[in-house]
Amino acid sequence: ASGKTKPGSASQLQVINFNFEAVQITWNTSAYAGINFTFVYKFDKKEEYRPCSSYILQHGYSAGCLLEVQRDGPLYFSIRNGTQPLLTKNLAISAYLKPRSPGDLSFQWRQEAVTVTCSNLGYNDLQYEIQHKTVFDAVWQSTEAETCNVTVDGLDPEKCYFFRARVKALEFAYGSETYPSDWSEVTHQQRGELRDSCWENSLFPKFIL
Amino acid sequence: YNFTDCDFKKIKESYRNIIYQELNNYTKGTRAIDFDHFVYCEDQADCLRKIQRLTFERRPGCAAPAREAFAARTRATLAAACPGYRGAQINNTQTMKKIRKRQIKTNECLEQVTYLKELWQRLSRIS
Amino acid sequence: ESGYAENGDFDDTELDDYSFSCYSQLEVDGLQHLLTCTFDDSDINSTNLELEICGALLDVYCLNFNKLQERYFLKTKKFLLIGDSKICVKLEKKNMTCRKVNIVKIVKPEAPFDVRVIYREGANDFVVTFNTSHLQKKYVKVLIHEVAYRQEKNENNWMRVNLTSTKLTLLQRKLQPNAMYEIKVRSIPYANYFEGFWSEWSPSFHFRTPETNGTELSL
Repeated sequence: ASGKTKPGSASQLQVINFNFEAVQITWNTSAYAGINFTFVYKFDKKEEYRPCSSYILQHGYSAGCLLEVQRDGPLYFSIRNGTQPLLTKNLAISAYLKPRSPGDLSFQWRQEAVTVTCSNLGYNDLQYEIQHKTVFDAVWQSTEAETCNVTVDGLDPEKCYFFRARVKALEFAYGSETYPSDWSEVTHQQRGELRDSCWENSLFPKFIL
Repeated sequence: YNFTDCDFKKIKESYRNIIYQELNNYTKGTRAIDFDHFVYCEDQADCLRKIQRLTFERRPGCAAPAREAFAARTRATLAAACPGYRGAQINNTQTMKKIRKRQIKTNECLEQVTYLKELWQRLSRIS
Repeated sequence: ESGYAENGDFDDTELDDYSFSCYSQLEVDGLQHLLTCTFDDSDINSTNLELEICGALLDVYCLNFNKLQERYFLKTKKFLLIGDSKICVKLEKKNMTCRKVNIVKIVKPEAPFDVRVIYREGANDFVVTFNTSHLQKKYVKVLIHEVAYRQEKNENNWMRVNLTSTKLTLLQRKLQPNAMYEIKVRSIPYANYFEGFWSEWSPSFHFRTPETNGTELSL
């Protein structure tokens, strides 16, 4: 939520929903030097507000709150200076989703294609993106699917390939303000087997002594 | 109308391929965080009830987006996927006879359609 | 899918064969869609025959087709893109035959273009790239592309590869050395909402393979 001038306005906020496990809300403190704001929140309109239990500090002053969440739902919160609310807001935490980076990638080779699988994240409307390249390619090439079972075709089993994966929230279901997951570790594969790297001798068979 | 017997898979397909583009076009440039409130729905039927209300009912500052393209497409989607759905106060043939110029996009309408988008997004996630 | 008679007082044998086929192209001109129909029987005398579409339209109930030689076409933004329409053949305002049509299920994509092949000596392969106008569209964005390639002297021996991206690698060792090849691409809708037919083929691209058959990789 990039900045407008009014310090207390919503656009001074940044909200990140880490895989529906934790939500981080940070606010721009530069306009309010020396004030320790308090953050209170609730997940149901009828509930009482509860105080933040895990503040994020900046130069010793509160600049955000990290709160645990359990599910896709509403969040009601207020940022206060003492008892005086600076900003009171409610929002859907799904709109700020950053999925977890895909783990334990597995590779199933079949002639000139590989099927990459990993564990689904357990909620809908995600896009799993697998990128691959060889040392001859300047850029990564993407293949996408809506489950973590992505088949990449047109490969040369003789060559050594770099693979990496990430997850994106589909815009029609989460809106346009989500974050792609971090990329997974890069994996190297050649002739259907795992390799440490693609740069050493995997490339020049004729020069093997 | 009780929306529990609708074909939610069919509704999701129409939404993600057609209606979403219209809503996105209508609310281009606005973000959920720009409005102080937001509308939430618990289950699929609850979502469709609120979607119908926000799409077809008049509200202060926003006569009713019922004449917008996404409203006509919402009506067509519900008619095709919900047994016995007759549509809100206007049905398709009446709309054809009373063709009126599309209304101006007031800020209230932008807010209303942004909430509508959030309801559709929620319905998609739970379908 | 052939047409069915709208009302029952005609005896089938007296009827001309008014069956027709249609395809749609969405966002073919900005936000405008194009629906094109032709009679299956090319010998039919279509002079007084008109086509009309009703249902699943925005703001109107029916629209009339325009005619250009033997082709009937309708360019509009008014397709609802949800639910079935009915297309009728009319002779002096009387329905001769009608058919249920769903615009999103008869989509014929625009042909791919700009097919190129680049030989990579170190990698011993050919990188095939092409373009499609559907990357910029809102509706029919997901296509399957069929790349067909053959050695020019082997008339009908086309090899075919299906892909969803617009880049493909052909391995040098799988092609004949020092040979002229022809390659072309076509597309078909590939999402469970939009369905339809193959596009026309792209213009062909011709390339010659090097003399060696490329078995050793080198940077």
